[in-house]
Amino acid sequence: MKGRIAFPFSVITAALIAAGPSRAEPANFSREILPILSENCFHCHGQDAQARKADLRLDIEADAKKAVDGAFPIAAGKSGMSEIMKRMLSTDPDEVMPPPKSNRKVTREQISMIGRWIDAGAKWGEHWAFTRVEKPKLGGDEGGRIKEEGNEIDSFVRMKLAEKGMKPSPPASPETLIRRVTLDLTGLPPTPDEVADFTSSYRLQPSAFEALVDRLLASPRYGERWVWEWLDASRYADTNGYQGDNDRTAWPWRDWVIEAINDNMPYDKFTTWQLAGDLLPNATKEQKLATAFVRNHMINGEGGRIPEENRIEYLFDQAETVATVWLGLTMQCTRCHDHKFDPLTMKDYYGLVAYFNGTPVDGQGRGGQTAPILDMSTPAEEARSQQAQTALNQIGKNVEAFELKKFPRPAGKGLEESEAGKLPGNLTATLAKVAPVKRTVDGILEAIGYFKEKDDAYVAVLQKLLDAVRRRDTAKGSITRVMVMEDRKEGPRDTFLLMKGAYDAPTTTKVTSATPGKFSPLPAGAPRNRLGLAQWIVARDNPLTARVTVNRYWQSLFGIGLVKTAEDFGVQGERPVHMDLLDYLAADFMEHGWDVKRLLKMIVMSGTYRQSSRVNGSDTDPENRLLARGARFRQPSFMLRDQALAISGLLAEKTGGPAVKPYQPEGIWEEASFGKIKYTPGTGSDLYRRSLYTFWRRIVGPTMVFDNATRQTCAVKAGRTNTPLHALTTLNEPTFVECARVLAERLLEDAALSDDAARFDRAYSLAMARKPTAKEKETLAATLGKLRAGFMRTPDEAVKLLEVGASPRETKLNTAEHAAWTSLCLLVLNLDEVLSKE
Amino acid sequence: MRLRKTEEDNLDHSFHQTRRHFFGKSALGIGSLALGSLLERQGHAMQSPEIGGLPHFAPKAKRVIYLFMNGGPPHLDMFDHKPQMEKWRGKEIPESVHGNKRQSTMTQGKGKSTLPAFTGFKRHGRSGAWVCDFLPRTAEIVDDVCFIKSMHTTQVNHAPAITFFLTGGEQPGRPSMGSWLSYGLGSECEDLPAFVVMTSRDKEASCGQLFYDFYWGSGFLPSRHQGVKFRGNGDPVLYIANPDGMSRSVRRTMLDGLAELNQQKLHDFGDPEIAARIAQYEMAYKMQASVPDLTDLSDEPKHILDMYGPDVHRQGSFAYNCLMARRLAERGVRFTQVMHAGWDHHRNLSTQFEIQCRDTDAPAAALVKDLKQRGLLEDTLVIWGGEFGRTPFLQGDVTNLKQLGRDHHPYVFTTWMAGAGVKPGISHGESDDFAYNPASHPVHVHDFQATIMHLLGIDHEKFTFRFQGRQFRLTDVHGSVVKNVLS
Repeated sequence: MKGRIAFPFSVITAALIAAGPSRAEPANFSREILPILSENCFHCHGQDAQARKADLRLDIEADAKKAVDGAFPIAAGKSGMSEIMKRMLSTDPDEVMPPPKSNRKVTREQISMIGRWIDAGAKWGEHWAFTRVEKPKLGGDEGGRIKEEGNEIDSFVRMKLAEKGMKPSPPASPETLIRRVTLDLTGLPPTPDEVADFTSSYRLQPSAFEALVDRLLASPRYGERWVWEWLDASRYADTNGYQGDNDRTAWPWRDWVIEAINDNMPYDKFTTWQLAGDLLPNATKEQKLATAFVRNHMINGEGGRIPEENRIEYLFDQAETVATVWLGLTMQCTRCHDHKFDPLTMKDYYGLVAYFNGTPVDGQGRGGQTAPILDMSTPAEEARSQQAQTALNQIGKNVEAFELKKFPRPAGKGLEESEAGKLPGNLTATLAKVAPVKRTVDGILEAIGYFKEKDDAYVAVLQKLLDAVRRRDTAKGSITRVMVMEDRKEGPRDTFLLMKGAYDAPTTTKVTSATPGKFSPLPAGAPRNRLGLAQWIVARDNPLTARVTVNRYWQSLFGIGLVKTAEDFGVQGERPVHMDLLDYLAADFMEHGWDVKRLLKMIVMSGTYRQSSRVNGSDTDPENRLLARGARFRQPSFMLRDQALAISGLLAEKTGGPAVKPYQPEGIWEEASFGKIKYTPGTGSDLYRRSLYTFWRRIVGPTMVFDNATRQTCAVKAGRTNTPLHALTTLNEPTFVECARVLAERLLEDAALSDDAARFDRAYSLAMARKPTAKEKETLAATLGKLRAGFMRTPDEAVKLLEVGASPRETKLNTAEHAAWTSLCLLVLNLDEVLSKE
Repeated sequence: MRLRKTEEDNLDHSFHQTRRHFFGKSALGIGSLALGSLLERQGHAMQSPEIGGLPHFAPKAKRVIYLFMNGGPPHLDMFDHKPQMEKWRGKEIPESVHGNKRQSTMTQGKGKSTLPAFTGFKRHGRSGAWVCDFLPRTAEIVDDVCFIKSMHTTQVNHAPAITFFLTGGEQPGRPSMGSWLSYGLGSECEDLPAFVVMTSRDKEASCGQLFYDFYWGSGFLPSRHQGVKFRGNGDPVLYIANPDGMSRSVRRTMLDGLAELNQQKLHDFGDPEIAARIAQYEMAYKMQASVPDLTDLSDEPKHILDMYGPDVHRQGSFAYNCLMARRLAERGVRFTQVMHAGWDHHRNLSTQFEIQCRDTDAPAAALVKDLKQRGLLEDTLVIWGGEFGRTPFLQGDVTNLKQLGRDHHPYVFTTWMAGAGVKPGISHGESDDFAYNPASHPVHVHDFQATIMHLLGIDHEKFTFRFQGRQFRLTDVHGSVVKNVLS
C-alpha cells in the first residue's frame, strides 16, 4: 500500500453501519480475522518476500501495527485511523484493496468484522493448528449422562448441537451397527451368524457392543483394512511409473505395515521406524525395512533425463510426502518461494529436504531395485533366476550360430563388422554391437519389427531370444529386494536453495537439515538427522502430528474429516467446527502412547458414531459437519470388491506375499506400454484375494479401482464421486458377476432355504445384515419372475452367463434358474444400501 | 426400453421432493451435494459465485478436439520454412543463436551442426502457407488453419513437457485441460463422458513414449472429471458390455428392480445420494447403447471413410481416432484428446519422418474438412501440436544418412489451430533464421492455454479451484490471451 487516502472518520463509520448490525463480541483473531487476512492480503503482504508489495507485511503483528509513511496499517483501537480499513472501503480502483485484478473480494460483513476487531484493540493471535495441543475440558456439564450414552466425544458434539438448537439422532439399529462397525474396522461385512449373535446379546446388554469392537480390533483383518489409506499416503505401488515402468518388489514393506497395524505398534514408533529405522542403534532388519516408506516414490527412467534432476525430484517427493502425511502442510510451493500464506520459507523447505540428502541414491538407474536395497530374497528365487539365466545362455548360443550364417564375416571379426553393422535405426547399437545374451527387450523388439516379413526364420530365432530375455528379466526382477534408506558413510551432501526448484540452478545459500523455524526446535539431544526429524515429528510439543493423524482416522470413519482439508492444516485449511473435539482426541492420543486401537475404539464407541444415518426431514446440514446423524456414504471401491467376495464366499483370505493379478480386461497393460508389458491374470485363489494385494502398475492402475489415489504421489484424501462408469464396474466387472453367480449357487444349494422368500432373506442378511421388508420382497419376487422367464426363453444365454469367472460352477443346478438368481444377486450387490456404509 | 412412465414419475417425484425440501430450508441444502453429480449438463462451476459463473462471456467454441502429437514433431521439416539454412548445412549454428541453452542429455554439450529441412516446401492456398511436401492433405486445409510458429515451452523431456501442455504444470497431479472444461462447462451430451481420450502410435513402434494417465487426470478436481480413455482394442469403454449371456432386456429387468428397490430406500431413508445413484445407473444403461452406436461406422459413406485414409478401419489407429473425434463432436462431447506417439525422431528422421507424415496427414486434414462440411467447425476448435519441436541441428552422424535425427527442442516450434473463433488462413509469430528461438510474438504454453480458455468463453485468470489453500488455475499464475489469432 502506498500513499494515503484521507477518509473522514464518519464515512467509515457510516459504511460500517451500512454493513449491518454489529455483534456485541469482537471477533476472534485466529477464528475470524486471520482467515480473511490470509485469503485476501497475504498473497502480496505476507511471508513471501519476492511477492511482497509496498514492503508491507500483514502476517506479523509488529509489522502490521508499525507506521508506514506516518500511516498505521492497523491502528489498534482505531479502525478509522487504520489504513487497511480505508483501502478496503475505497471506491477508487487504484486504491482499493484487494485490487480488482486479484479476483479477491472482501465482503462488507468481513470489513465490518475487522473494524470491530480493530476497535476492540486488534488483539493478535496464532493460527489454531500451530499452537500446542492442550486437552480441552469436556464440553457441557452433562458428565454422568454422557457416560451412559456414549463417551467424551459426545460431550463435545452434543454441546455444539445444542448451540444450534439441534438434537442427535437415535442410535442405529443393531443390524446397521454391526455392519457399520465391521466394515469400518475389518473392511468386510459381518456374517449372518455374527449379526444374529450380536443383535440378540445387544438387546439384553448394550455392553455387547464393546465386546464386538474388541473382537474386531483383534482380528487380523483389521490390519488389512487399515493399511489401505497408508498405502495411498505413502504412494505405494508395484512399479516405478514413467517410461519402462519397471516392476519393484516392495511388498515385504507392505506386509510389515499390516503387521505393525495389527500389533498396534504405537504411532510414534510406527513413524520413527519408517522415517529413520536404519538410524536406530543396532537397527534390525525389520527397522531398516520400515524405511522403504521414504523410497516408495516414482522413479523416472526416461532417456535424456539427467540423473541429478531425478535425484532432486525424489528428494522433493520425500520431503513433501513427510510434510503432508505428518504435518498436514503443503510445502510444494516453498520449493520456489516462501509460502504465501503459512509461515514456511524456502529455507524451511530445503532444510527438510536436507534430511533426505544423505543417501547414496544418485538418480541413476531405471530398475525397481536401485540401491540402497535390503535383500529379502529366498533361495528359491535365486535358483529360479539362475535357471532362467542358464536357459538364456543356451538360446544365446543358438542365436550366435544363426547370425554367423546370416551375417557372414571373416573369422575373428565381430558382428558389427558384417552387414549387421549397417542396419538402420538403432539396430547397430542394439543388435550388431551387443552379444545376444546382453540384448534388451526393446532392442530385440526393434529387430523383430525390422526383419518381419524379410526373414521369418531369423524372426523366429529372435522371438525365442526375446522370450528367454523376458523370462530372465522377470526372474531376476522378482528376487525380492526392497529399496530402503541408508546414509552415506562420507556424510550428507550439501544442500543449496534451488532457484525455482530447478536442479541446475543452485543459489549460494547453503542449508543444513532443519525443521521449519516456525515450530519448536528439535527436542533436546535429538540428532540432526532423520532420526531427530522423526523425534521432532512425534514430540509432545509438535502441534500438528497428532491433530493431523487423528483427523485422518476420523475421515476414514465418517467420510469427511473434522478438518475437511485433511491435506492442509495451514492458515488456508479449514478451521474445524469441532475444534475442541479434535484437540481432545489429539491430546488423548498422545497421552495414551499414540495408541491407535484405543483411539479407534473411543470413536466407534461414541454415541455420535452409533447414531442412525437416516436423513432427518428438518436437517439443514447437508455435509453432516455438526454430526447430528451417523455417516452414510458409498464405500471405497477396494472395499466394494472385497465385500462382494466375502458375501459370495469366494474371498481367499491369506495375509501378505507378492502382489496378485485378478481379472483385468485384455490389452490394458499392453496398450499402455506399447505391447512391452503383458498382463497375465493369476489363477486359483489369486483371483479372490483382498484388493490390497492387487498388483498396482503405476502407469495404469487396477481397472476395477475407482475414486482412489493414483499412487503416483502422496494422497491423504480420496475423492468420492458418483458416475455411470462406477455403475458399469460393479455391474459388469467379472469379479462382481462371478460373485453373484457363486452367491446364487450358495442360496440355491442351501437345503435350509426352502423357497424364494427364504433365499431373499438369506441374500439380504449376507449383504446388508438385515432381512428384506415385505415390499422389498414383492419387488424381488416380481423381478425374479421376469428374469426366470427371460432365461427360460434363452437357455444358451443362461449357460454363457454362468460361465463368467474361473471358479467351477455347480452344473447340477437348472441353468435358467441359476442364471436368473445370478442376475438377481448382481442386483443385490448393486443396491445403494450394499454399496454404502450406512 | 426405458422406465415405465409411472416409475419415472415416481422417481422424479421423490427426488424433487427431497430436493425441494432441502432447497426450501437452506441455500446450502443437502440436495446440492447430490445435485452436483446429477446436473452434469450444466457444469459444476457454472453455479459457483466464486469464479463469477461460467462462461464468463459468449464462447466461440463449444468443444475442443486436441490432436496431440507426442514425441515432438520437427517444426522446421513441416511448417516453419527456413530455406536460408541450406547455406549452413553441416556448419555449426552460431553461439549467438543457440546461446548454449539446455538440451536433453542426448545432445547436451555436443556440436550443433545445422540440419536444414528434410524435404521440399511449397506454398498453398489463398493464404500461401508453407507446407512440406510430405503433407499434401494438410496443404489443402491451410486456409482454414492458423499456424502459431512461435510456440515455446520450458520443458525439455517428454513426460514433463506433455504434462505441462495439458495441465499447466510439469509434475503430475494437476487437472488436465479437459477436466477443467468438464468441471467448468459440464457436458452437452448426457450419455457420453464430457472428456474422452484416445491414443494411437506409429505402426513401426519406433517411438517409446508411453501415455500416462495423468495426461488426462483430474488432479484435485472431483475424479468424475477425469478423461475417459477409449481403448484401442476391445470395448472402447471399460466394462461397457454386459456380461456374456446377459441380454439387454435381462439387464433392463434387473435395473428396473434395482431402481424400484433403491427408490423404496430413498423414500424410507431420505438420503439424496440415493437419487443420484438411481440416475447414474440409468445413465450407465444409456451409455451401453450410445457407445456401440458411436463406434458403429456402418452409417459412414465410403467417400468419408476414404478421406480419413486406409487406417480408418483399424480400431486404435490415428485415422480411426480422428473419425471417432468427429463423431464425438457431433454428439456434443466437450473435449476429445487424441494422442498419437511416433514423432520422437532422434536417429530415424530419415526413415520415420515421412511415414509419420503419411499416417497422420490425411486423418487430421479429413477431420477439419469433415467438421467444416457439417457446419461443426464453426463451434469446434481443432488443435494440432506436440509438446515441443525438434532441434535445427542434427543428432547423430551427418555421414550416416540412415541414422539422422533431431533432439528435443523447446525454444520454438509450431502448432496449428482451426475452427471456432480462430482466424483462418493466418500465421502468427515467427522464429529466427535457424528456427531456434522466437523472433516475434512468442507464445508460451500458458498463453496458448489462456487462448483456448478464451475461445470457450472463459477468463483463465478467474477460472480457479481452491486446493491446499490456494486458488489453482490451468495457467498457474501466467499466460495472456493471444488476441491476434482470434477472429
